[in-house]
Amino acid sequence: MKLVRVALDVPLPRLFDYLAPDANPCDIGLRTSVPFGSGNKVGIVLNVTESTDQPVAKLKEVHALLRDMPALPSSFLAMCEFCAKYYQAPIGEVMAFALPPMLRRGKLPKARKTTPDLTRQNVVATPAKVDGGRKTSGQSVPTVGLPPLLVAQAAAVDAILNSRGFCAFLLHGVTGSGKTEVYLRAIASVLERGGQALMLVPEIALTPQLQARVAARFPYAHIVSAHSGVPDAARARGFLDGLEGYADIVLGTRLSIFMPLPRLQLIVVDEEHDASFKQQEGLRYSARDLAIWRAHQLDIPVVLGSATPALESFFHAHSGRYNLLELPQRAVAEHLPQVRTVDTRREKLQDGLSQALIDALTLRLERGEQSLIFLNRRGYAPVLSCPPCGWVSRCHRCAANLVVHLADKRLRCHHCGFEAMIPRNCPSCGNVDLQPFGRGTQRLENILAERFPKARISRIDRDSASTPKKWQALLDAIHAGDVDILVGTQMLAKGHDFPKLTLVGAIGADAALFAADFRAPERLFAQLMQVGGRSGRADLPGQVLIQTDYPDHALYQALEDGDYGRFARVLLAERQIAGFPPYSFQALLRAEARTVEDSLAFLAIARKAALTIADPRVTIYDPVPMKMQRLMTLERAQLLVESTNRPALQAFLSKWMETIYSQRKVGGLRWHLDVDPLEI
Amino acid sequence: MRKPARRSPLPQSLESAQVPERSDQKLAINQTQLVGHLLERGALRYTPAGIAVLEFVIGHVSQQIEADTTRTVECEMACIAAGTPAKLLSKGKQGDSVLVSGFLAARSLKRRTPVLHVTTIEFVEGIENGI
Repeated sequence: MKLVRVALDVPLPRLFDYLAPDANPCDIGLRTSVPFGSGNKVGIVLNVTESTDQPVAKLKEVHALLRDMPALPSSFLAMCEFCAKYYQAPIGEVMAFALPPMLRRGKLPKARKTTPDLTRQNVVATPAKVDGGRKTSGQSVPTVGLPPLLVAQAAAVDAILNSRGFCAFLLHGVTGSGKTEVYLRAIASVLERGGQALMLVPEIALTPQLQARVAARFPYAHIVSAHSGVPDAARARGFLDGLEGYADIVLGTRLSIFMPLPRLQLIVVDEEHDASFKQQEGLRYSARDLAIWRAHQLDIPVVLGSATPALESFFHAHSGRYNLLELPQRAVAEHLPQVRTVDTRREKLQDGLSQALIDALTLRLERGEQSLIFLNRRGYAPVLSCPPCGWVSRCHRCAANLVVHLADKRLRCHHCGFEAMIPRNCPSCGNVDLQPFGRGTQRLENILAERFPKARISRIDRDSASTPKKWQALLDAIHAGDVDILVGTQMLAKGHDFPKLTLVGAIGADAALFAADFRAPERLFAQLMQVGGRSGRADLPGQVLIQTDYPDHALYQALEDGDYGRFARVLLAERQIAGFPPYSFQALLRAEARTVEDSLAFLAIARKAALTIADPRVTIYDPVPMKMQRLMTLERAQLLVESTNRPALQAFLSKWMETIYSQRKVGGLRWHLDVDPLEI
Repeated sequence: MRKPARRSPLPQSLESAQVPERSDQKLAINQTQLVGHLLERGALRYTPAGIAVLEFVIGHVSQQIEADTTRTVECEMACIAAGTPAKLLSKGKQGDSVLVSGFLAARSLKRRTPVLHVTTIEFVEGIENGI
């Protein structure tokens, strides 16, 4: 009796056994179509066996083993299994997530379907064959005409190229220090040796520049981009190209960490501190952490690059677990931009702008240079209010305010997506003179237009650059010099070089200074440093002005000196005292239900169960309502568990999850576990 | 120094803010008429929903009878208009004589001094001069 053990996309942490008379051990890693309940499902064969603990009479037979696609390699399956175990997710869900949607549904992209000779052909297991079919392997990439490397860059490249086996590098380089050039040289060498390289970037949809740069550097290489914006068929095609070894360079967002690459020799994680590497829904994995695991599994080097490394990476690099490569100098511009805070405590601001910032803007306009005003708040104003009666535009589904979007005359909840027309008069008292309070990018755009009537002003946020096409058009206008003043959110902060940009003004940054989240200062620093790094990237010196009520704060002081290391050490000392990551490991059980009592009650039972199985090294806190308690009409609560010992926490979590899965739930209650949560 | 006693704040919920019943219409009387000239006029602005709003100040001078005696009265009244009257008045200039009528309402939840909400407006001098 031949049986296959199949991982199916169902929210249960187990495998399913099916009869498969024609199965053989080579079929592990194949997709299979099976009957499930009253319908069909596509799963992945994880094992081929002869015995089962299920009653044989109840077993069903698979519809088909889908041999039209090469089997997924064992390294891929191992990573999914690790991911399922570490993040306490059902294996079937992890695998379904790791596959592109089209392959997950049991289909193949068109071109492949017509290729007749691919059945049962184990392309992956025979790299020689793969190499034979390739144009580019072993082809050297021309290095003439490339910019000469700085000493530190050259040392970094050498260190990466000379490493043997697994080695994690933290490339800590100030903005503009040429980190990308280091990656490209390392990738070039990997390609020369016939290897594949995987490069993770935070938001590929926003970085066509990088894509173009990689494509221009490696004209003969097959570059696959993998992110959720790629159409279904192309994504499946890219996945197969990776699996079959045709892809040389994979450029992608966090999900591309799962891409099977048989000749993978280097993983690069650019802007490794970026929060987008951690998925915040469904499978809550961290692509950066998985990159380290994968490099370790394959015994290859991994390079994490950032100007403001995550404190976790910074800690590991300085404690010797990672190799620290520093690029203290800018490669492109002569000097780092001069960063200065503007004390706004005494000054009467003019529509939120200080005189110093206005003067600096005027000067840039006179000189024909570009300026950027950074305000991390979309919309016209964060709230609409009625001064006579005190009504404010609250979202009826969330504990949040509806944001005024004047451009399209709507109120929007930035949390749940609720939208409404701007009311003609106050829903509470009837007053028509409703006032938008506070300032968003749209309002700032209007204010600047009034103050500088001759300036060409362009706003860049998720509303104005809602599609890649619009975004590209805006970028083109900036590069063509058709814009004098840019108003933008963090969207602008990532990876763009604007040669004529010499002034960056940051307003409203203080809000993040006192956020309840312990990672907020780290993120604020990274954000300001990154956005500041946009200025003065060519031959013009840059200036950064940060308006603040707290110019003496350690964060701003370190920013003025451009010394992330100093600030990181201050933060690390604080974290050590508080026992926060990286000095401890955390997991967060979140529950959401119609009432907060239901959520808290569920967590209270989970806590009781936790106490009976807890290792003394694991601390279990009390259930509390979440910071943003109400979202999409659901009341949310959380329970934090923490340990200084990661294996102890992991062992506890897997035991704990069993009890939670068997726990009775109130109707409408949902829960999930977030391992290594970004926010608590 | 004694602060003036604060009146109870306005009810905020819809139910309690309801206008009194028709039979008690007298309890809802809030009508003000005033002739004066335009002292200050702000720029016409628009609410987020697109309704024109104009804030202005009327200077009033007249003779009135008080305790059987004729006396001179002067005052300045902060006014606000929304919609058609706002657009109408935005064409006026400083010094224009106008007859405004409307109702009084507190400036905001915190500042309880009244503002005259002008609902109808008439340019007085223009008529007198036969323009």
